[in-house]
Amino acid sequence: MTIRVLIVDAKPERSQELEQAMGDAGFEVVATVDEQQDLHAVVERLAPDAVIIDSALPSRDTLEHVGQLGRRYPKPMIMLAEQESPDLTRIAAKAGVSAYVVDHVQPALMRSMVNVAIASFESHRALKGELTRTQETLAQRRSIDRAKALVMELRSIGEEAAYQYLRTTAMNRRMTIHELAQELLTAAGKR
Amino acid sequence: MKPEITRLTLGVLPLNDAAPLVVALEHGLFAAEGLEVTLSVETSWAGLRDAMQLGLLDGAQLLALMPLASTLGLDGRKTPMLSALTLNTGGNAITVSQALYRHMEANAPRGLADPVDSARALAAVVEQRRQQGEPPLRFANVYPFSSHRYLLRYWMAAGGVDPDADMALRVVPPPLVASRLQAGELDGYCVGEPWNSLAEHQGIGRVICGSLDIWGGSQEKVFGVREAWAEQYPATHQAVLRALLRACLWLDAPGNRPKAARLMCEGGYLDVPPHVVEQGMRDPAERTSGDGLPGATRFHRHAANFPWRSQTMWYAAQMRRWGHLDEALDLSAAVERCVRPALYRQAAEAVGLSVPVEDTRVEGAHAQDWTLAGSHGDIDMAPDAFMDGARFSGA
Repeated sequence: MTIRVLIVDAKPERSQELEQAMGDAGFEVVATVDEQQDLHAVVERLAPDAVIIDSALPSRDTLEHVGQLGRRYPKPMIMLAEQESPDLTRIAAKAGVSAYVVDHVQPALMRSMVNVAIASFESHRALKGELTRTQETLAQRRSIDRAKALVMELRSIGEEAAYQYLRTTAMNRRMTIHELAQELLTAAGKR
Repeated sequence: MKPEITRLTLGVLPLNDAAPLVVALEHGLFAAEGLEVTLSVETSWAGLRDAMQLGLLDGAQLLALMPLASTLGLDGRKTPMLSALTLNTGGNAITVSQALYRHMEANAPRGLADPVDSARALAAVVEQRRQQGEPPLRFANVYPFSSHRYLLRYWMAAGGVDPDADMALRVVPPPLVASRLQAGELDGYCVGEPWNSLAEHQGIGRVICGSLDIWGGSQEKVFGVREAWAEQYPATHQAVLRALLRACLWLDAPGNRPKAARLMCEGGYLDVPPHVVEQGMRDPAERTSGDGLPGATRFHRHAANFPWRSQTMWYAAQMRRWGHLDEALDLSAAVERCVRPALYRQAAEAVGLSVPVEDTRVEGAHAQDWTLAGSHGDIDMAPDAFMDGARFSGA
């Protein structure tokens, strides 16, 4: 039996690579969609055996609901992978891959499918020099701290005042503190 | 007692009621407890659940039903979780499209201000559509194990609508609901703020009622941790609870809500204009007669942070009502395990608060302000009535 896979990804370049890799590994990709489509309706219409979704997409929660509606709908991988491969879900989560699978898919096939997706996401990330989401948060914090130090130095003011300055300026310019920090650091050549 | 561990990663979703965690971080309340906290902004409840169950987070802002659903193995991998603190009550609202609003208005002899009247108007619209052979109305909520889902169903049923037979119900993530409403792909939804204010602000939809109008005592988000984590790090858990309680106190002090709204936007926690966040982050105490405050929320006053077991029991009873929970399950044992008022009392008394002495109450018993005798003096309480006057005293 061929496993019919639905891909949900808002990055067309990456999803094309993933589609190719899935096909090469013997899976049938029934469709690739982004969040602009009604995912609930897509899953009902196509009845995929599995869904691979970028874990940064809020639409995961739509799949959670569909998974509760009956046995024929794909369930979140974390419910299924426990005995088979306790680490796989964790590795997938770190790579930004989420999977939903109907329970009659053999565990070995599910593992292989998820591994293909992880490899595809990782290679895309390496190629694009993207950070994972956790790294992003930390990197954001660090650049805000560095921008604060810069403002303290430039304006000879204390830490609290520097932070207030960043806040007020960011608010006035309708941007986040992080965006402002990036801009200041770039301007100062310290990025 | 010193915290066993001090470096923590806590999860939140980009919603107004992440405010207690954001305030505790940005105002140094975590730091004052010796904690070095990183907030991880997740993008879905499923992602937050996975991160909690995989041990990638120490604790998180959760929907009130999530610790129970995780403990019972209904939501993801069976992982016992518990909560000792409610982050807020209220905060959600029901919004409908302009077209549905007009249709409901035409079927509301007494207007749409009272939630029972608006639900009856919805029932009338449903009946007309059925007679004309039109497809069912499409309503969205945010997650299967959510207050939104059960408040929406309660409202519909109170007007005589059968949510399963009469409606097409689905989950749409909050950041997408307004655009779906505008595109005509949804007729209404129940979500938290700022997503109701945003739709109204943009002229896409009309807010029908807030969650406090459906149930005055509606528990919303909680701070949850894994049971094993709570057992391993009791002093750290208490330190987090104290910091969050102080943040909640600050949020309900006069004049601080607009500051909190700016904190949420400037810190990059919410990608929505500050005035929209501010509008959706109002205090019900600001309500004057005739001035509805949909999405109004309480972060502290009226014992809002106390985890009444009866609140979680009510949600669980609603799950059972709609066939979403096994009839044979020992619910009170499960709720006792997941909702931990004793841990709340320990933290609240350390902060100097008077706390409720009972773990449960009759939900819906008060239509007016009332007074509760607490451990260290009276506590001013707010109405906790249901829209239809029902009372709930257990399973």
